[in-house]
Amino acid sequence: MIRVQEAPFDAGTEQQALLAGRTDIGAVVSFTGLVRDFNEHPEVSALTLEHYPGMTESALEAIVEDARGRWSLDAVTVIHRVGRLTPGDPIVLVVVASAHRRAAFEACDFIMDYLKTRAHFWKKEHAGDGDYWVSERDSDHSDARRWEA
Amino acid sequence: MSLTHLNARGEAHMVDVADKPESRREASASGRIRMRPETLTLLADGGLPKGDVLATARIAGIQAAKRTHELIPLCHALSLSKVAVDFHLDEAESCVTVTATCRLNGRTGVEMEALTAVSVACLTLYDMCKAVDKSMEIGAIQLDTKRGGKSGDYRRDAAAPRPAPIVTGEGQAGEVSLGSRCDVATPCIRVKCLAELRERLGVGEVAVELDSLESFDVAGLKAALKALDPRFSRLDEGRVLCAVNQVMASDTTPVTNEDEVAFFPPVTGG
Repeated sequence: MIRVQEAPFDAGTEQQALLAGRTDIGAVVSFTGLVRDFNEHPEVSALTLEHYPGMTESALEAIVEDARGRWSLDAVTVIHRVGRLTPGDPIVLVVVASAHRRAAFEACDFIMDYLKTRAHFWKKEHAGDGDYWVSERDSDHSDARRWEA
Repeated sequence: MSLTHLNARGEAHMVDVADKPESRREASASGRIRMRPETLTLLADGGLPKGDVLATARIAGIQAAKRTHELIPLCHALSLSKVAVDFHLDEAESCVTVTATCRLNGRTGVEMEALTAVSVACLTLYDMCKAVDKSMEIGAIQLDTKRGGKSGDYRRDAAAPRPAPIVTGEGQAGEVSLGSRCDVATPCIRVKCLAELRERLGVGEVAVELDSLESFDVAGLKAALKALDPRFSRLDEGRVLCAVNQVMASDTTPVTNEDEVAFFPPVTGG
């Protein structure tokens, strides 16, 4: 399941929903990304996330489909928030369920690496010394390239 | 427009596709089964006597897509490369929406396969739930999108407005105002600039007349934009990505009337 939403989410509720009624799942890995109060500048007071409706969802779907081709997965949930968020807020959730732990760990890692470099979201940070758009990071791209070998 | 399943004498016949070129074909269809709210709750909780309803209906839909030619008289037997069946449980409408997508590289379209998958998945849902609810109603089975082939792409309600991007701020002072809507009579391309690029250029949406393009591709569009306003020279500064109709594109990607072209900076989500 893939959702792009302004509302907050609860990682526990989403994980329960993913596992409801299933007894064939042996491992579930959940990653939650949070808004930090420091990034390119110190004292980030808020950030605003923009996306490209339609294309964002298809990019996320393609990433999940790619993961399903690489590992045997039973269920995947990806939720990404947009709009204005403040430090401590959950911003992204990836939950991956599989029969065995290795696939769940690796697929969750993979989905986050690809999400950061391929899904159509843009962050603007509001800091003490002004607003600025976050730049792309080389480290995100090298993380994503790990899966191409 | 003629019906290709009728020959010159008006008799039904199977179309010979041997000489048609192979191309990538894709079709998506959807349908809906309405039920009582209690039934939907049971379905969601896995409390129905026949077991896992959605998994069974999904397999039924996939099987049905593969056997479409056995059911629909003039359909060709196809080796589908992909069949995906998905369900959305809508509590507000008390219904389950079924969607199916079929794909292959071949000589015939796959709309019938997608529609058959949806129909049979709906029937299976009915069968799995009928012990507790006989009043369920199947409806709104329709083709949503189709790609590839001689008759071209199709999208239901192509004119329906898409939700606007969530914008994070207005353009800078002195915004370029070039009009954002296509005149019905004039073929044109709708251009969107997103995120930082929108703020840097001071323009979010603009319509460009197709006739103002020297070449009908993204490079031609960029040149036309620069002729409209020199600010668009910033499209060449730094890394600016481009999508045509929401698919990643390059300077050589062709553009045509009614296309939506978006320019945006590298993504920074997560």
